[in-house]
Amino acid sequence: MITTPDLIGSLAANLKPVRRLRPPATRAACWLLLAALVLALLAVSGIRPDLTQRLRDPTFAVGMAASLLTGIFAASAAFLISLPDRSRLWLLLPAPMLIVWLSTIGYQCLTNWVSLDADGIHLGETVRCFATLTLTSLPLSLAMLVMLRHAAPLRPTTVTLMGSLAVAAITATALSLFHDLDATVMILMWNLGTAVLIVGLGGMLGRRMFSWVAPRSLHQRA
Amino acid sequence: MTSGRRHRRGWLTLVGDPSSPHAAGLRRASADEAPSLRYDVDWSILMARAQEGDGVAYRRLLEEVTPYLRSLAARRHSDASDVEDAIQDVLLTVHAIRNTYDPTRPFGPWLVAIANRRLVDRLRRQGRMRSRETALTAAHETFPAHQANVDAGTSEGRVLERALEKLPPGQRQAVRLLKLEEMSLKEAAAASGASIASLKVATHRALRKLRKILSIRSDA
Repeated sequence: MITTPDLIGSLAANLKPVRRLRPPATRAACWLLLAALVLALLAVSGIRPDLTQRLRDPTFAVGMAASLLTGIFAASAAFLISLPDRSRLWLLLPAPMLIVWLSTIGYQCLTNWVSLDADGIHLGETVRCFATLTLTSLPLSLAMLVMLRHAAPLRPTTVTLMGSLAVAAITATALSLFHDLDATVMILMWNLGTAVLIVGLGGMLGRRMFSWVAPRSLHQRA
Repeated sequence: MTSGRRHRRGWLTLVGDPSSPHAAGLRRASADEAPSLRYDVDWSILMARAQEGDGVAYRRLLEEVTPYLRSLAARRHSDASDVEDAIQDVLLTVHAIRNTYDPTRPFGPWLVAIANRRLVDRLRRQGRMRSRETALTAAHETFPAHQANVDAGTSEGRVLERALEKLPPGQRQAVRLLKLEEMSLKEAAAASGASIASLKVATHRALRKLRKILSIRSDA
């Protein structure tokens, strides 16, 4: 085993200058910019035709704003708590918006249950929904993973869950922007299902993915 | 922000007129109240230099924080080698994520947060390992040792010893070398000076005689 003074010596001898991380708010803004870019690219392929009409419905508008804000706040919280010396209370930042988002979905279920129309679920629409889901969540998740890799030795699970929540909320916003999901079952499935799927996958694979992109010197140690 | 105010207080003592009694009082107060604060400002500067690639500052910083980390690690680990391992783990983590330190913020909380996370992770890993693996104790190590398995004290062993004593010396030696010490014929011949053929004969006779002695005993 190498002694501690020897270790210090070798670390100091091989020291390379590093670039400091930008403030967490800036980094969150960069990630959100990427999210906006992805959404804009998807919008080129066509947003849902009845969007302006649907936005007049307060429940829909509040729900979409809440999911978007959940995404923004969760991303900020993820970048904040990935730093070692920030308070864990930042985890509560997206909580109010998350509650609003989930309760608008619940409210829609209670007051205005729209069952599937006679045609049932259209296969074409479902495939397009999946395409949107993948095209939004995959690049955003990867970007988040790489940007937060320094959190691997600190709070991997918490940071992954927060990052996944951000991705899930943005993806849900994208889905309601681009696809006419009016049947309540579809809204439930595509909003909650996506959120649960992404957060669950993040929680399960987060640690493994982090150890894959983690700073190299930790690996040599392990 | 508290850290900003603290920094300013630290500067006050530095730029004041050193000869004035007021400055002396301030200096004493700052030295008495918050010795860690002075370190903290120093460490912030050292770390900021280290981020720019200053190896000397970095070495000084790591050497200065090591005793502090040792005291943190000693609270959670009792074994000395565990403590050293934990310190090295923390130092490596600090090295790996040194770009996350923001020099406008105090260094202490950053270091302590990293140290605590690594120490707790380490304890968890040890806990998991202990639930699955059993450490070897002195008792486990004694079993493979030859001496521990010689069962001299049992009654069967004593009976055999006594039966062996009744054999003529040549046959006794042959049984001892070939059967009890498990030598080969060639080794036994070299050890005793007898020929291989005579050893074979002696062993054969000795076993027949032992069988007789032991069967008489068991009949009785």
